[in-house]
Amino acid sequence: MHNDRPDLYICTDHLLVYSIKHMTPSVCEGDMMDDSQKHRILMVSDFFYPNFGGVENHIYYLSQCLLKLGHKVVVATHAYGNRSGVRYMTGGLKVYYIPWSPFVMQNTLPTFYGLLPIIRTILIRERITVVHGHQAFSTFCHEALMHARTMGYKVVFTDHSLYGFADVGSIHMNKVLQFTLADVSQAICVSHTSKENTVLRSGLPPEKVFVVPNAVDTAIFKPAVDRPSGSEIVIVVISRLVYRKGVDLLVEVIPEVCRLHPNVRFIIGGDGPKRVRLEEMREKHSLQDRVEMLGAVQHVQVRSVLISGHIFLNSSLTEAFCIAILEAASCGLLTVSTRVGGVPEVLPDEMIVLAEPDPGDMVHAIQKAISMLPKIDPQAMHNRMRELYNWHDVAKRTEIVYDRAFKCSNQNLLERLSRYLFCGAWAGKLFFLVMIVGFLLWQLLELWQPADDIEEVPDFTLPCSCDEEMLEKNSVK
Amino acid sequence: MNPSLVNNSSPTHPRWRKVAYGGMQPGYDDNHTDESFLEGMVMNASVVKRDMLKVMLDSVSISEYLCIVALVVLVWTCTLASTIDENSLLLIDVGLLVSGFLILLFTQEMLSLSLLFHYFLNISFFITVLYVLAPIYQTLTRSISSDSIWAVAASLLILHLFLHDYSESTVKAPGVLKNPALTSCISVNASVVASVFIASRLPSRLHVFAIMLFSLQVFLFAPLVTYCIKKYSFRLHLCFSISLMAMTLSFVYTLHRLLFVLLLSLLVFVNVVCPYWLIRIQEYKFEINGPWDEAKLCFDITD
Repeated sequence: MHNDRPDLYICTDHLLVYSIKHMTPSVCEGDMMDDSQKHRILMVSDFFYPNFGGVENHIYYLSQCLLKLGHKVVVATHAYGNRSGVRYMTGGLKVYYIPWSPFVMQNTLPTFYGLLPIIRTILIRERITVVHGHQAFSTFCHEALMHARTMGYKVVFTDHSLYGFADVGSIHMNKVLQFTLADVSQAICVSHTSKENTVLRSGLPPEKVFVVPNAVDTAIFKPAVDRPSGSEIVIVVISRLVYRKGVDLLVEVIPEVCRLHPNVRFIIGGDGPKRVRLEEMREKHSLQDRVEMLGAVQHVQVRSVLISGHIFLNSSLTEAFCIAILEAASCGLLTVSTRVGGVPEVLPDEMIVLAEPDPGDMVHAIQKAISMLPKIDPQAMHNRMRELYNWHDVAKRTEIVYDRAFKCSNQNLLERLSRYLFCGAWAGKLFFLVMIVGFLLWQLLELWQPADDIEEVPDFTLPCSCDEEMLEKNSVK
Repeated sequence: MNPSLVNNSSPTHPRWRKVAYGGMQPGYDDNHTDESFLEGMVMNASVVKRDMLKVMLDSVSISEYLCIVALVVLVWTCTLASTIDENSLLLIDVGLLVSGFLILLFTQEMLSLSLLFHYFLNISFFITVLYVLAPIYQTLTRSISSDSIWAVAASLLILHLFLHDYSESTVKAPGVLKNPALTSCISVNASVVASVFIASRLPSRLHVFAIMLFSLQVFLFAPLVTYCIKKYSFRLHLCFSISLMAMTLSFVYTLHRLLFVLLLSLLVFVNVVCPYWLIRIQEYKFEINGPWDEAKLCFDITD
């Protein structure tokens, strides 16, 4: 790590000087907010752009809306290939791509203390007040939260997934979650079912857990001007073709629906290990002309695939929230989904038909959706979605969570350590030891490189004209 | 929230709903927790109340197979010590084959002539191949030292006992779709390899052929025979098991007294101590299910 720090400094200063040269430092008075309400937030996760997924989208949109509310947001994640160092994204969002390579599924190697020096430097340079970690399976996030709590920062954690209690991976993951959340200020879950799951897994008191859902960018996901007309009914499926997304359910459901409704056609987007099963199903039932397989779909192409259909089919076996349903509803599609996890909470009854994860019930739900189809107005559904889900609303609610975190009293080391001891007979002592060593390492870093010696990054604010110009560019895109 | 504000808005604000859409619900914070929290949680859904006698009766299958393996080891020991010669062993083989067939005939009503002929053809082919390969088995592991032979054979038999599938027979009837588990395959292979190791210490190829045929008959077809008996009549299964245990214990008693005590202790442990232990330890079982669990598909995935 010692060799990497000078590069990070050079990169940071260079980009900062470049930015300042091209922007006039005038500030519009209208943009100023109450100083006491402003937060300086560090988002940490293994998952961020250029990787694509629900967590990545959540962090990006939430950060953008928090920036618009007047807060300062910095993202920290691991290096993605050649993308290492500091980058600036839209709206002045600063991203630290820490040179820390992923080793499995974009997760970094858990090292307990390896991230402490660089995280400490970022926290001091950016004068961070809140550290917001995302995703239970992100080792980067857990380490950063642990070190931030050691240094006395306020910590918020967002859980994006559901986990069981029976398999080996979940048992160990729940123990790690109990460790990192034992001392967290507040937690956020994306659905009420997810809140129940997280409370059980981590042992957090329920009043510490907020339910702030995901949202959808309704400006991107709009209905088609002209709906696909004619007697044909197109059912769209877009998901990764893996077991957890219920591809085996699709293999049973699609032939039956095609048999009952000769005017139904399927479009399946996505790739994965279960794609072979779908191809075999097409061959076996001679459905090559009625089931279209698109393969992997780029995120920018998702809307064009969605608006070519009337019904969106989701066959997941487990979902904490399911953003794909929001995207489909925003495009004006009626949704048919399995009744699993947090899915029943996502949409009102007139927008979704729920079914048990059973082929017969799924076929029945699709038939019900087909009968509901004449009454569906895609534009009205889109307008309804704009009221129901909004990233600005998510940012405001997250802001409330940050304010609540600041009202929590500070605790000294002994109080925090006693909380770790309650995590279990053996695990508690182990967690206690890990935190003691972390505290000692932090004190050692304070001696070796005091906080006063670390240079703080100066703030700059985008002028009104630049802000509007950038907004115009976004709208053009 | 202010108490006065709560009082003012209590006649008007709607009831809290467990939904994620529509933004923050009026009058409630995002961390609101009402009485419906965790109402979907189910604890210990799959716990079965167990009866001591039933568990003991179920564990008889395990003891039965322990005795079968003990008998095999007994025959191996007597053959190696030249107490049983190859002609007697061949007689035992024929006797086992005939009695096995008779038991299958009595317990399986739908056994037809074509199926019997099919079985006969398979077994004839099997015996012929075994006879031809007997010299290879005799010389295959001869160069390994005797200490290693005994140690490896004992280890493989223990592995066989631990990985054995006691609930069903390993050899399936024709037409059954379900494949045997990986552990079951490892178990059968371990026993066969142990037989091959023992075969290298025998003086003649006829000895090797006889011992291999005996071992393969017992390890491959004994689970099928005992399974058919159990399916036919549980009482007959109990009689057969108790007779087998008595016979095994008497043979071991004549051979070695310490081994008799050891085997008797093992049988008591399996039949009495383990069932009691299972019932005692089950009260510590704690299992949580709820709407967050991954849905289980109700049909088989046939790849």
